[in-house]
Amino acid sequence: MTLAAIDYVILATYFVFVIGIGWMLRKRMATSGDFLLSGRSVPVWITSLAFIAANLGSQEIVGMAASGAKYGIMTCHFYWLGAIPAMIFMGLFMMPFYYGSKARSVPEFLKLRFDEKTRGFNAILFAAMTIFSSGISMFVTGIWLHLVLGWDFAASVIATAAIVLLYTYLGGLTSAIYNEVLQFFLIVAGFLPLSIMACAKAGGWQGMLSRLPANMTHTWKYMGHAADNPMGVELFGMIAGLGFVMSFGYWCTNFLVVQRAMAADSMSAARRTPLIGAIPKMFMPFVVILPGIVAVALAHMPAPGGGHLYEIPLKAGGGNDYNTMIFTLMGKFYPAGILGVGLTGLMASFMSGMAGNVTAFNTVFTYDIYQSYIRKTAPDKHYLFVGRMTTIAGVVLSIGAAYVCKSYDNIMDLLQFVFAFVNAPLFATFLLGMFWKRATAHGAFSGLVSSVFGAILTFGFTQAEGHGGFLYCAHRFGSQMVQNFWIAIAAFTTCLVVTVVVSLATVPRPDSEMEGLVYGLTKIKKDEGARWYQRPAPLAVFVAVLVIVINIWLA
Amino acid sequence: MDLRLPSGLFFVILGVILTGLGVFAPGLRAPLTDLNVNLYAGLCMLVFGAFLLLMALRASRKQP
Repeated sequence: MTLAAIDYVILATYFVFVIGIGWMLRKRMATSGDFLLSGRSVPVWITSLAFIAANLGSQEIVGMAASGAKYGIMTCHFYWLGAIPAMIFMGLFMMPFYYGSKARSVPEFLKLRFDEKTRGFNAILFAAMTIFSSGISMFVTGIWLHLVLGWDFAASVIATAAIVLLYTYLGGLTSAIYNEVLQFFLIVAGFLPLSIMACAKAGGWQGMLSRLPANMTHTWKYMGHAADNPMGVELFGMIAGLGFVMSFGYWCTNFLVVQRAMAADSMSAARRTPLIGAIPKMFMPFVVILPGIVAVALAHMPAPGGGHLYEIPLKAGGGNDYNTMIFTLMGKFYPAGILGVGLTGLMASFMSGMAGNVTAFNTVFTYDIYQSYIRKTAPDKHYLFVGRMTTIAGVVLSIGAAYVCKSYDNIMDLLQFVFAFVNAPLFATFLLGMFWKRATAHGAFSGLVSSVFGAILTFGFTQAEGHGGFLYCAHRFGSQMVQNFWIAIAAFTTCLVVTVVVSLATVPRPDSEMEGLVYGLTKIKKDEGARWYQRPAPLAVFVAVLVIVINIWLA
Repeated sequence: MDLRLPSGLFFVILGVILTGLGVFAPGLRAPLTDLNVNLYAGLCMLVFGAFLLLMALRASRKQP
């Protein structure tokens, strides 16, 4: 694929704006709270869009189109089942504790509700995870830019990292959040025309559906048996694994997204952040998944000069290379000009994923590791300085992680295995911590630690696509994805059971210490008098009805 | 800072570039493009950018 001069102009314009936003915000960064927490002053429409944009990283964008081509409309479950219910739950039931407790991060909430060791365990794990996930994101970005545009791997990794560093260093979390909104708009502007044009080319919505295998055209219809649907998943694994454990684990406990809601300017705004974000989130499949689905239809349509309208790219070693599809599709549909916008949209998603990780990392490191273990009392100026330095360190470490991934193939596999379950047990800890006042610190800590073993054992005894089963192969799953669902379910259940058992055996904490941290001991302010869409509960009902309607339409 | 200002400006600039391309190079096509996509996408971006700018202007008038 070759770019015209005008495409580079568009890309450069975007870079100027991204850095410009950071530059304009630099004067507002007076305290560590301004830099790491946005001073809790961001308007709700901005936090809502940032909430979903922080998750729209490069792997999400490219991976969703790829999954669309592999699994068809079922892929939408990652949004409608795997995100929306968790976002509703988070806004309605969990945000009052996160925001109301005045905790500055997810690990700090664990410290307030449980104890220091639970916080430390979580903070260190989370910090390592964000570095690696931003490293993987960079690595994947570099590979694609090299493959598709012929750019140098090292140069593209370092250039994108430098731009992200510049705007997060200048304007902190506010700059990352503001840019995520711009990135969100740009992702839509860059991908929606592709969706629409590809769909029209395939004969419109009905024309597209008629050219697909039947089991790719429904979300729920072929879910009865694992063998019937392209994902190889059965109903229980899907609902419990993706719909409950994995999605609630991610959307309700991952500081990367929770941080965006915590930056809102009031409790009501913080609670509405995931709810308002859920509305555009619901329609994102039509922007990011649809191109992949349509590509399959186009690959069945004869071209005037012989062959097909579109050929799904092949891997060097055989098999389909779904991951470069989005690039070749753009090449087929986008002439110079809009092609620049499309690629800028991709760059935007690369950057939003990276910046999200870096801003979550610097907050957790500064408050939960540095201030808790290295230097407990210092003037705030010092922590602002540490926050800025951690931003630099975070980017540099991510580049290192990207190179580690480039050198060792197995590391990526290992990390993806870890990411698959790491949030799931944490959700059990929060569920018990926020809604069961009897849960104790020793319970939470032993639950979290033992869940790691639960996950490893499940991985050791089951196999999927040649992965796992290193102890004994007791069960074979239809796909690695389904195996991940079950690993997450096992980790969650282990954590839940161990936390309950150990809690009942240890001394409970007095109620008076847990005000504002546990359901039943916390007063939740009612927003009476405000309009319905300004109140969390009616808004949640609206979102729920909307997502049910879409599911029935494409069932 | 009102975010609608820079993002509105950004989309107006993109819109101007794309609409300009659509008007002065209406024949630009990729293998599967049927229509003048630069023109239509550019006009949409212009409208969106102008809308954001207008909202920012309204807000700044309310709170001087």
